[in-house]
Amino acid sequence: MSTPPDNFRLEQAAASDDSIQQVHDRLRSTKPDREHGYSKTPLILLGVMCTLVFFGSIYVAHYSIRFDPLVVNEHANREKPDDGTKKTFTRAELGKPVFIKNCMLCHQANGQGQPNIYPPLAGSEWVAGTEERIVRIILHGLNGPITVAGRDFNNVMAPLGTVLNDEQIANVISYIRSDWGNSGPEVEPSTVARVRAEAAAQKGPYTAEELLKIGN
Amino acid sequence: MKNGLLIFLGLFVLAALSWAVVLLAPHRQYGALAPAVDPLDGLQHPYGTSGLANQGRLVYQDLGCVTCHTQQVRHGSADLDRRWGTRPSYARDYVKDGRVFLGSSRLGPDLRNVGARLGDTATPAEYAEWFHKLLYAPGSVGAHKPAHAFLYEVRPIRPGQASAKALHLSGSAAPAAGHEVVPTHRAEALVAYLASLKDTYEYPVEAQVNAPAGKKEGGH
Amino acid sequence: MSSPAHSPEPVERAKNRAEQEQIDATAKWPVLAFLGSGLFWLFVGGVMQLAASIQTHSPGFLAACEWFTHGRLAPAAQNALVYGWGFNAAFAVGLWLMARLSAAALRHGGWLLVAGKFWNVGVLLGVGGILGGWSASYELLEFPRFVVLLLLASYALIGVWMVTTFSVRNTENVYASQWYLFAAAFFFPWLYSIAQVMLFKAPVAGTLQAIVNAWYVDGIYALWFIPLGLAVAYYFLPKLLGRPINLYYTAALGFWWLIAVGVLLSGIRLINAPVPVWVPTLGIAASLLLVLPLIVIGLNLLGTLGRDFGKALASPTLSFVSLSVLSFLLWGGLTIVTSMRGVAAGFQFTLGPSGLDWLALYGCFSLAAFGAANFIVPRLTGREWASPALLKAQFWAAALGLGLFTVASLVGGFGQGALLNNPAITSGELSAALAPWLAARSVALMLLLVSHLAFLLNLVWAVCPINSGKARAAAFAPPPDLKPAAEARS
Repeated sequence: MSTPPDNFRLEQAAASDDSIQQVHDRLRSTKPDREHGYSKTPLILLGVMCTLVFFGSIYVAHYSIRFDPLVVNEHANREKPDDGTKKTFTRAELGKPVFIKNCMLCHQANGQGQPNIYPPLAGSEWVAGTEERIVRIILHGLNGPITVAGRDFNNVMAPLGTVLNDEQIANVISYIRSDWGNSGPEVEPSTVARVRAEAAAQKGPYTAEELLKIGN
Repeated sequence: MKNGLLIFLGLFVLAALSWAVVLLAPHRQYGALAPAVDPLDGLQHPYGTSGLANQGRLVYQDLGCVTCHTQQVRHGSADLDRRWGTRPSYARDYVKDGRVFLGSSRLGPDLRNVGARLGDTATPAEYAEWFHKLLYAPGSVGAHKPAHAFLYEVRPIRPGQASAKALHLSGSAAPAAGHEVVPTHRAEALVAYLASLKDTYEYPVEAQVNAPAGKKEGGH
Repeated sequence: MSSPAHSPEPVERAKNRAEQEQIDATAKWPVLAFLGSGLFWLFVGGVMQLAASIQTHSPGFLAACEWFTHGRLAPAAQNALVYGWGFNAAFAVGLWLMARLSAAALRHGGWLLVAGKFWNVGVLLGVGGILGGWSASYELLEFPRFVVLLLLASYALIGVWMVTTFSVRNTENVYASQWYLFAAAFFFPWLYSIAQVMLFKAPVAGTLQAIVNAWYVDGIYALWFIPLGLAVAYYFLPKLLGRPINLYYTAALGFWWLIAVGVLLSGIRLINAPVPVWVPTLGIAASLLLVLPLIVIGLNLLGTLGRDFGKALASPTLSFVSLSVLSFLLWGGLTIVTSMRGVAAGFQFTLGPSGLDWLALYGCFSLAAFGAANFIVPRLTGREWASPALLKAQFWAAALGLGLFTVASLVGGFGQGALLNNPAITSGELSAALAPWLAARSVALMLLLVSHLAFLLNLVWAVCPINSGKARAAAFAPPPDLKPAAEARS
């Protein structure tokens, strides 16, 4: 070599691979010699480790909110709330959507029906009266003349017995008995089931005459 | 460490730990999360999209919209003040989404409720018009985003057969005289997907467990 | 420079040198092939990345063509850089390093070439697939499904090579670099296959997909690229400085703690996301624990470097490796700080996180790979580097580019975060405020391309003997032995 190799063009290694491995293997377990007996570094590192794990654990405990999968807010209440979400709805509240979906078209949202066409439910004695009649109307429908709140109607109401189950019928009757100034007791699905069984033989819609013979 | 086997075992344990804690545990917790059924009307929330909106989801995916747009409304943040949503996004919102595009970059605004961005009074046609403009000529509605004009067809108006779907553009964005800009099927699908993006249902369970802790909670 | 106080006989040293030359000879074509293909993807990906960056502040750029719309170009660029450049460079450097440290030749290197070819075919199909509209839309997993088995099969071959080279090692001891190489080689197939199963084969529903995706992306950076960068640093610092790693007895602690943190860190990408809140909380706690490996590895590596920054700058390898170590420490520190929820609220969804990821991929890993390549290539080709000026240009352009990119991402990112959290600021005002920082990032990427061009020129002169006058034949002096710490400091 005429000129010393330019370090930038070619970098010479300053240590052989063998010696790197051997020296480090010896260093693996030896701490550097200190004049004063022990090396502070391991203790400091141990202290750091413990501090970090401690604070990390506190952080996890504080902000995981019972590990509840539905919580996205780290500031949510860490105590489990009482299961107030299982809000029990009254039958009237549950009946309103049924009414909206199945009855509102004809009987209208204000329960007034349409004059001379569809009878009102507000102030209707058929609603306030015995379950025997109102349940049968809903189950099998109604045909022919009927007097409701002093006015006469003559139309067809489609049967809903195959569309609504007992629970839904109970709910909707409870609803129409609670709105528009009506008042009346809630109806239980068991009552509806009983009436459904008793009226099972009925073929076709009821007429007002037939219904007036049932119940009081 | 002399022993390669020891290193392997250590790494394997850590890998298994990672999988179990970070992936398996959440999966066991809410992997089967179902939509909430409203007790009053019996409807499922979220209901899921179908048809054109689902195809639009695929267009969203292949065009890589997730590169610049997130779909997550953060709780207790300016996201709600910006009306990017009426409530924070919950995990349940995404269970019917197929591929979830949560996103990690907001070069553009969050899109989780973009289907409600113009408010309740805007009609679906107005939403569609706005989305089409954003995609075809964003500059015309003041948006600083790349145009996706390749999703549209500029064609001459056939005599007496102007397309009802043509975009109403003006100014520099408008096509040459006698031409109209018509969305392709992919543009319509994408717009249908965007219009379907709105999370409005208030989940009673999520709302309750995420309610902030009362003031009587000490400190922190 | 060599004081033969504890060195073996000249015959032994010459024998060591001969063995190393033999190892290098078997590694030559696989390593050069991987490096070459890596460079190809570095340019392709780099140009795409630059174009995508330009699109962020000039949205009309390339907007007319569906293939280059930003939503496709940006992921294509990222995947090209990660899987094309990152993995090829990792294979090149990792295989050479493992062969040297195991004192075992790379046998049947032809298979490695085949595996590398399939890997590159897979990446090509994947990147093309993203541009063509078959993107799967998960970060770093956008490659269409037909590419997956190809990549896994190629990796299996290459990974098997790394492991068998290690298992037939002629050395008794396992050095720190080998731990990190082992860890990286071990984790990737697990990360990739589990992510593929849980996202595509038996897809999880809802935001679990985001959890899996974040786990995978975090794994790629914290468990693949960072350990590879550290492996290079742990090897080249003693190799070129002639003194052992400072406080080496703590290195094992640093290694295991870093890996343990890395496997649990992914939650920090999901802060405020619609996932169970304990997932990001766990990630934040893990990032707090990152302090310890940062301290230990910092003591190990910066402690070895000592105050020899001048010496480092005068070395084409050490300059890159030192900057890589600094990048790692900066990445770690920033990760810890930005994972704190208060800071994260103003950092997430901005330019910032992409700047951090780039610090891991480019700062920690790529710079280390360049440094390693600057050392390895002369030993494989038997030629010196032709142009020291280009080597210096490569370093300074890379350093400036990375610095500018990091600063622009952080400052721009925090600014963007503040504006995002201010409901009065509209999207239009936000874009206007962000434009200068986005432009700065584009400039930074141009600087990086300049750096890579300088490297390419030097590499071509070194590998192709066309201009044989330029690159002189290299004369290697047998390296002396490492002195244990006590004597080295005298």
